[in-house]
Order: sequence, then structure tokens, then C-alpha cells
Amino acid sequence: MKSHEVKIAKEKLLPEAGIVKAPSPNGEQETMITGCWRVLRPVIDREKCTMCRSCWIFCPDQAIEIAEEKMAVKLKYCKGCGICAEVCPVGAIERVPELDFEDGVVRLEKLF
Amino acid sequence: MATQKVEKTKLDRVRSLAKAPMDDYYVSGHRTCAGCGPAINYRMVAKAAGKDTIFVGPTGCMYVANTSYLCVPWAVPWIHAQITNGGGIGSGISAAYEARIRKGKYKGKFPNVIVMAGDGGSSDIGLQSLSGAMYRNHDLLFIAYDNEAYANTGIQVSPTTPYGARTTFTPPGPVVPEGKKLWPKDLAKLIVGGHPSVAYVATASIGYPIDLMNKVRKALNVEGAAFMHIHAPCPKGWGFPANKAIEIARLAVQTGMWTMWEFENGEYKINIEPKKFKPVSQYLEVQDRFNHLTAEHKAKIQNFVNQKLAMLGIKVPVEAVTA
Amino acid sequence: MGTKKFLTGLGATATAVKMADVDVITSFPIRPYTGVMMILSQMVANGELDAEFIHADGEHAQLSICHGASAAGARTFTGSSGVGVTYAFETYSPISGGRCPVQMLIADRTLDPPGDFGSEHTDALGCRDQGWIMGWAETPQEVFDNTLIYYRVGEDPRVRLPQFNCHDGYFVSHIPGEVEIPDQSQVDEFLPPYRPVDPLDPQKPVGHGPQIFPDQGPALEAMRHNAMMAAMPAIEEAIDDFGRIFGRKYAPFVEEFMTDDAELAFFINGAHAHTARYAIKHLRERGIKVGLVKIRFIRPWPTDLLQESLSRFKAVGVVETNSSFGIARGGGILAPEVCGSLYDVPQRPLIASFMGGLGGEPITLKEFDFIAGKLKKIAESGKIEKPVYWLGFEE
Repeated sequence: MKSHEVKIAKEKLLPEAGIVKAPSPNGEQETMITGCWRVLRPVIDREKCTMCRSCWIFCPDQAIEIAEEKMAVKLKYCKGCGICAEVCPVGAIERVPELDFEDGVVRLEKLF
Repeated sequence: MATQKVEKTKLDRVRSLAKAPMDDYYVSGHRTCAGCGPAINYRMVAKAAGKDTIFVGPTGCMYVANTSYLCVPWAVPWIHAQITNGGGIGSGISAAYEARIRKGKYKGKFPNVIVMAGDGGSSDIGLQSLSGAMYRNHDLLFIAYDNEAYANTGIQVSPTTPYGARTTFTPPGPVVPEGKKLWPKDLAKLIVGGHPSVAYVATASIGYPIDLMNKVRKALNVEGAAFMHIHAPCPKGWGFPANKAIEIARLAVQTGMWTMWEFENGEYKINIEPKKFKPVSQYLEVQDRFNHLTAEHKAKIQNFVNQKLAMLGIKVPVEAVTA
Repeated sequence: MGTKKFLTGLGATATAVKMADVDVITSFPIRPYTGVMMILSQMVANGELDAEFIHADGEHAQLSICHGASAAGARTFTGSSGVGVTYAFETYSPISGGRCPVQMLIADRTLDPPGDFGSEHTDALGCRDQGWIMGWAETPQEVFDNTLIYYRVGEDPRVRLPQFNCHDGYFVSHIPGEVEIPDQSQVDEFLPPYRPVDPLDPQKPVGHGPQIFPDQGPALEAMRHNAMMAAMPAIEEAIDDFGRIFGRKYAPFVEEFMTDDAELAFFINGAHAHTARYAIKHLRERGIKVGLVKIRFIRPWPTDLLQESLSRFKAVGVVETNSSFGIARGGGILAPEVCGSLYDVPQRPLIASFMGGLGGEPITLKEFDFIAGKLKKIAESGKIEKPVYWLGFEE
């Protein structure tokens, strides 16, 4: 019988059955980088921080990391929701406009 | 449906935030809204469940916002289910492992099978599938993450949407001043009331992570089916700022709009009970979806909450104020 | 070598399912298919078959549970009839798109209204576009054989598609026929254990069925199309192997009977082919050169083989045991596919549809006589009077 298969160029092939590889634990899903959504950047005052981990557990985006025994923000994915600042019991997190930063993400040329 | 039990790892109690599992299996890189309650829930559940887990994701925001496009933010296996059939797909996975391990076709541990369905996929169009999985007592945990609306399609009313809430299918107007006119379905009670083989049912809230994670672990440790109903506020759907999900979640518990309990060995146990309940108006007034309500509507809600608490044996009613 | 037994279509299916060492079975009662689950549940209760036998909460759940189980690496079996088949409709595309080789028996039953137990193929044919392999068996023996063949084809790594294993309700499901039951070792040689590709397994985490961008749609659909196309060689190879191992040789797609010198042909699927064979013997005695073309697979549809086969006749009568109200040519579902297959062939027969057996009525020898008479007239006059005849309502 003749083959009625469609020739699919290699670069257009997708994972068979739409089954995709999972990211690694604590990893990231790099096709959806969400740091560019952010309007206000959380800045952690490392002096005030007591390492209570509230910001860490409540972050919807796994964007708070425990680094060098202190909390740090993973800016690549932080959407700037501000929950971390809200739940911090000692007021150690300030929300600063992205425009105040040299590397601020709220720039039209970065969005489009 | 187990005829012969297969080995399953037991998960330890989480004592404190400092001792909470470090590893994340729901990772950065998903399109959920900034400050999304259901995303916080997903992260806590995945943390508590750990690596030997398979998630079933019926259609809903946690499908659409998480998996676009041809990618997944879970470091454990995940499968999409229709909004109708989370319980069915979960049942199948659990049954497959029962059979394959028993017949020597799979070498490995029996996994934690968790169905993560929204309120629509659990209390409404997915209810039959959920009930079937519970009735048959497959070894799985069905979680209804409740953001009280069909949020993915643009905030339409669901059976768990509270009375008086504005949704895009229950807009208030001169003829229907209160918006939603019906009282919400109590899904967890429905599971307790009609599914005698289910060994563990619990409610939880993203405002109380240690309680939530321990309930997940308890639910996974029991043999057979378990059910959890988790309150997960939705900033977009409910109309509150993106940084307020946790505050709103806690207010729901503090006002009695959401109750925190476990059901096991035939008994209810209240886990988190405020010493003094706040009036529900404090909860209603910080959300846009209730901003059309009159004092009369709010009093009706207060009465409803008082009755609900009384049924749980909590006698701390707040007086309904109509004026 | 094996033994011979008198089995109904349902008994034959259950026996084959047992020999295929299925892991997960999902049941829900609806006539007439339901007998297969009665037999299988007894086999599980007796310890003859080690499988999870699940009482699903409806047909939609039967298919959903099989979907989950198949994605987690189990060999699965389910079945239904009539409105049960349509109740589960939502699940069919996700199962084929997820490339889960679930097998579903459909013992045909007329759709409602009105309530009717009789066989009509509309239940299954209504699901023909969902990416499932689909075909009909004519006898309990063919039912037994197809059950094994479908698993083998559906689980073929090139294919990985679910299968609608269909036969007519009552005519096949409930009427016993002689079935040769092979040895287990023969079945094991023909049908190796299911080896799932990327199953749901915490040891190797994968995501099944994430959302896509619209521009990813064409490639995924083309890949599912290619899987169905790959079923064609897979079916041919499986039928070859089947003949070698079991000694029964089938035409993979298009089975012919007394067609060598035939000018007219009945084109048919399923149980009514049985009556058609008797009719043809009688008609031959009266000098009418008629033969039978029985199609064994509706999906994938063997376009090329039908071009070769049907272009040899002057007139073809498509016997339709199904309905599609308002379809092209105004008859059933098969005729437009047959006509479509032949459109590119310069030499093609005249084609008319004969609506028969609706509601589970038998198609009688007399009605095959009528069809042959009409085909003869069409062949002699060289033109179609009308494209569709409703048996029992015609002059």
C-alpha cells in the first residue's frame, strides 16, 4: 500500500504524543520566564531577616531561595506579587519600583 | 481495589517551617497570575508529597496556566485529565500500579497519586468522577483546590462560589441585587457523608502551610482513598491586590467563612479554631466580588456561617448585624 | 495445539482478553456488550485472570480509568454499546492523542431514541474520527482473533493508538459459533507484553498532555495522522504473523468472496456479511455475477486497496447499517467514504447505498436479492436512478 504519511521536517517535529520531559527538582521551566512581569521588586534587608522562611514557603513561584544562610530573590522568575513582603513578620522586605534599578525589567524594549 | 497490599513509603510529620522539606517539585516558570493562591497550594502539596508522586491535572487554571506551552513546571510525572474525569484518571493510575506491581511487571515503589482538581472539576462537572474514585477506594489523594469559581475561563460561578459573590455569570443588577443567590455546596462534607470507605478527609488553607503539608502527608499515608478540600484565594477572581492572598486566606478562617477540620475514624476534629471569630463583614469588605452587598445580605451570610460552625460543634457565633 | 469451543462473540472476547493478560478492566452494565464483563469478573473471582476489575461510574469513567491506567503502563480493556459508547465520547480524542493503546469492545446497539437493543453501527461509526483504530468482526472466531490482533497493532511502537474492536450486538455478541482457542504459548509469541513508552513513573518524570501554542497544533496532528498511517503496515505484518502462528489467514483489510468474475458487489462491514455470503450463493445459482467485498478495518481506511478492488466491478451496493441524517448522498456513513476513495480512479463502478438492518433488523436474503436486482439494473443501464435505497420502503 502507498504511504500517506506526512513528511515532517525535523525542526517541526514535536515530542511524540505531546509527552514532555519534566524539569528537575528545584529547577526551572525556562520556556516561561516570568521575571519580566514584575513592577515592584522585593528587596530583602539581610540585617533584619530572621530566616523564619515565611517568604520562602508562601512564594507562588519558588522565587525565594535560601542563599548563604539568608533569603534571596530569584529575579528571573519573581512576578513581583509582594506576598513575601506582606507575610514577613519583621518587615525586612521592601518593594521598590523596577524603574529605580539599572537592570530594571519594566522597559518597553524588554517586553516586546 | 487492592487485593494484596504493595509497599508504600510513609511520610514523616513536618514539625516547623525550619524543618519543612527543602525540595520543590513545583518549580519556577509558569503563567499563573502574580500572587496566585492555587499556585501556592500546588507548591506546598508537591513539597509535602515529594518525589515519588504522580499528579493528575484536570482542566482548570492549574492546567492552563501551568502547562503552556508544551512544557510542565512539575519535577514529578503529571498528566492532563479532562475537567470531567480527574477521579477516573487517578483511579486508573492507581489501579495500574496495583496490578503491575502485584504481577511483577513494575519494579519500584507504589507512587503517591494526587488528583489536583479545581472546584469545578471536583464539586461540579467532576463530582461523579471524584465520588466514583472515593467509593471504589483506590489508593489516591483527591485534592479540590478551591478558588470558588471557574477562574480559567474568566471567573464564572461554580457550586462553591459563596452566596452574594459577583462572578461573570452572577453579575448583580436591580433584579438580582446579591449576585449569586445560592448557598455553596459543602464538598468535603459530601465526601464524608456518603463515602464510608474513605479513611481520611480534611480541609486546609494556604494560609496555614504546616497544617496543610501535614494533612497532605497524613492523607497519603492512609491506605486507600483520601480527600482534601483546600481554600486557595484568587486575586483576579475575588478582586483583591496580588500581595493579599495569604491575608485573605487567614481572614476566611478567622471569620469562619472557611473551617479547618479533619475527619478520621468516624470523627471530626477541628484543627484551627480562632479564640474569637471576627465578623464576616471584615472578610467580605476587602474583596471586590462582595462590594455590592447590602447589610442585609451580609447578615444572611453571617447567619449561614454561624449555622455551619454550630454543625461542627463550634459555638462561637457572631451576631448578625442588619443595620 | 489449541482446543475448540462453542462461544458467543462476548465469550470469545473474554477468552482472548484473558489470554492477553490484561492488567486493568473497567466495566459498566449496558446491553448487549455487558456479558463480556460478567464472564471477565468471574474469571477474576476464580483467580484465572490476575487483573484489577473496576466497577466504573459510567462509560465516561470506564474510558477515563483505562486512560490513566494505560498512561501508567497497564494493558487495559473496556467495552460498551449504543448510548454508552456516545456517553464516553469526550474521552476518545484525549486517549488517542495521548497515544494510549486502550482496547474497547463495541457490541453495537442502536442509539436512542427509541429504546432499542438491536444492532446498528451508528454508535461506533459516530466515533470514527477520534483517532482510534476501528473495525468489525463477522464471527466469534474473528472476534477472538481481532482482540489479539488489535492489541498487537495498537501497542506497536510505530502506532500506539487505541482500538475500537467492534462486532454486531446479538448477531455476533450472543450467537455462539465454533472458536479455536490457541495455546497460551502461541498467544505469547504473537502478543509480547505491553512495553509503554514514557509512562507515568516517578523514576523517570514526564508530563503527559500539556497545552500547546496554536502553531504546535499542525505538527502534533500530523504525527497522530502518521501513527494511524503506520497502523497499515503494522496490520499487514500482524496478520502475516497471525497466519504463521495460528494457521488462520485473513485478508488484512479487504476480504473478498466470489468476486473473481463478478460484475456486481455488495460492500459490507460486520455480521451481515454472513447473510450476504448465502445470498451470493443463491444469486450465483440464478446466474447473477455478484460477489462480496467485506471491509475489516474502517480506520485506517484502506483507500488504495479499495481502489484496486472496487474498480473491477460495474456496480457496487454499499450496505449501510448506520445512519447519518443529512450526509452527502443522503444515505449512510460508508458510501461517501467509498465514493471518496474511488474519485481519483478513472475506471470506477456505479455506487448506490442500501440502508438496511436499522434498529437491529436482520437483513434478509430477500433484501440481498433486491439489492442485487437494483445493482443489475444500474450496471445494465449504466446510470444511477437514485443514490440511496431504504430497504423495505422501495418498489
